[in-house]
Amino acid sequence: MWFLAVRHLLSRRKQTLLTVTGILLGTAAYVVISGLMIGFQDFLVDQLVNNDAHVKVSARADKLTAQSLDQAFYGDQFVSWIKSPSGRKDNPYIVSPGTWMQRLEHDPSVSGASAQMVAQVIATHGKISSTAKLIGADPDQQKKVSNIDDYMLSGHLDEIGKSGSRIVIGKDLADTLGAVNGETIYLSAGKAQPQPFRIVGIFHLGVKSIDETTIIGALSDAQKLNMTPGRVTDIAVRLHDLRQAREMAGLWNLMAEEKVESWDQANEGLMSVFSLQDIVRNSMTIAILIVASFGIYNILSLAISHKTREIAILRSMGFEPGDITRLFLTQGMALGAIGGLAGLIFGYLICAYLGTIEVSADRGLGGNHLFMSYNLSIYFMGFMLAFISACVASVLPARSAGKMEPIDIIRGEGE
Amino acid sequence: MIELFGVKKSFGDPPTEVLKGITAEIKEGEMVSIVGRSGSGKSTLLYLISTLDRPTAGDVVIDGVPVCSLSMKELHRFRNEKMGFVFQFHHLLPELSALENVLMPTLKQKKGEDFTPFAMELLWEFGIAHKRDRRPGELSGGEQQRVAIARALILQPRYLFADEPTGNLDSANGEAVLKFFQSIHRDRGTTVIYVTHDPLFAELAERELVLVDGLIRGELHPKHLHEFRLDPIPGFEIRPS
Repeated sequence: MWFLAVRHLLSRRKQTLLTVTGILLGTAAYVVISGLMIGFQDFLVDQLVNNDAHVKVSARADKLTAQSLDQAFYGDQFVSWIKSPSGRKDNPYIVSPGTWMQRLEHDPSVSGASAQMVAQVIATHGKISSTAKLIGADPDQQKKVSNIDDYMLSGHLDEIGKSGSRIVIGKDLADTLGAVNGETIYLSAGKAQPQPFRIVGIFHLGVKSIDETTIIGALSDAQKLNMTPGRVTDIAVRLHDLRQAREMAGLWNLMAEEKVESWDQANEGLMSVFSLQDIVRNSMTIAILIVASFGIYNILSLAISHKTREIAILRSMGFEPGDITRLFLTQGMALGAIGGLAGLIFGYLICAYLGTIEVSADRGLGGNHLFMSYNLSIYFMGFMLAFISACVASVLPARSAGKMEPIDIIRGEGE
Repeated sequence: MIELFGVKKSFGDPPTEVLKGITAEIKEGEMVSIVGRSGSGKSTLLYLISTLDRPTAGDVVIDGVPVCSLSMKELHRFRNEKMGFVFQFHHLLPELSALENVLMPTLKQKKGEDFTPFAMELLWEFGIAHKRDRRPGELSGGEQQRVAIARALILQPRYLFADEPTGNLDSANGEAVLKFFQSIHRDRGTTVIYVTHDPLFAELAERELVLVDGLIRGELHPKHLHEFRLDPIPGFEIRPS
């Protein structure tokens, strides 16, 4: 019946073209909107994940409760405090980072781990000071978990490993402090006199929250500044497969008392924005495709009502109801397939064009173009949406055509 | 051979009986016309004989097989292989050329035989071979009806059914159509059964079944034109009204 279906479509060229255009626009809209949104999401995730960690092991900061000290001081006696004990238990730190590192290095799903000493510091340059987060890490380990080295405006991450209190800092922080590469700034963890550090590199990720606050230095320097020698507060872990992050975090959480969080757990707020975006994107596309489906439904119904005589003659020739249904179903499917494919191509072209547009947003060394996603799954999904909605829309009219009895049609014509 | 046993057909609610019990027999290789006034149920009878419709009561038996016992699938194969239809309105598919229209029933056959030479032969026989690539819209009414007849014959059916095949044609074209029926009947031995209200065309058959108010009122044998028999002959039941 293929051949007849094609002839049918060709015989009403205008309608066919219109329907195909409808599906084309729906599919293209899906591809473009998805390309934009997923491109943006991918960019953000890339910045967040690759420069922080897939999974982060951090010391649990336990708070004292009113009853925390009862046992130690008073045994089983009932105690009522006038001013109950409160505050954090000691400085949080990972109890045995060596064991952790050993365990992580032997895990086949881990591609790198970096032990860090993270401290809040005040950076001072001349009269200007600013709060910042100092990450003390071994540069070789750090390079395995983050690709910050790719975003260096000047200098290299390696240089912090050389002796003598060297750091790399974010571009925005450097701007705030008015410091340039090679200058010395003072860092204070609030426990001792500010100590001088030399800036040996400036990085620019394009993510303001990181560029404005982050300083990376050698692990031992950070420990010294914080007066906590040998202590590690975090371990950043990079996995071979990002998608395993949540699962591995859950697993490791069971093995020790440290807090283990995957990147998406750590950025819960952002993730909920993403899923909201997905909902908006999908419902928009579905709305467009529903309109296109109604077009197909209409056109097929109309075609069938014009072709009842031909259906009768086909049936009298011995064509079965299934053949008739197939005749019209093929037409709907062909419309969906052609419109879908054309929509993918059209959508791709629009994406390619949008990708060349420069936006004012500052996006580090990644350039300031719009980020478009060309993920194959978008194209697959777009095509399936078009094709399936076309099939669904043509099933009803096609089946009603199949159910027509030749005798009713002939008789209906009147004698 | 087609046998009818007390075939009744009613329509509507409350049911009106259009055919009131018809028993008849049409032998292999006969050419039979069904005549009657409009409303006499002649078209309904044809659709029952040709399996397009099912009787309310009674049995239609074709080649010893009761039609009612056939499944949908068997029925469609039956129609495809054994029957050809010609309607008052030619019912050609407007998207296809004359030749493709003729070949349409062969698409249902999965044997992959090439019927094109035979289709051309039929078109040539009907004098429209030179218009094989025209669309139905570019053909005259008579030519369209000839294409429809060629289509009905393409699978060499044993039975050819026609409902008012001349109804839409002028008398010259109508006569030509009946001449084709006669030659089909004579040369191929096809059983031809057609409905007409035109007594001149009805006379071209070997036998005329006269239908009055849903009953066969008698039959004419045009070859002996003035012999109008009212007494029952074997296979035909005549009931007083």
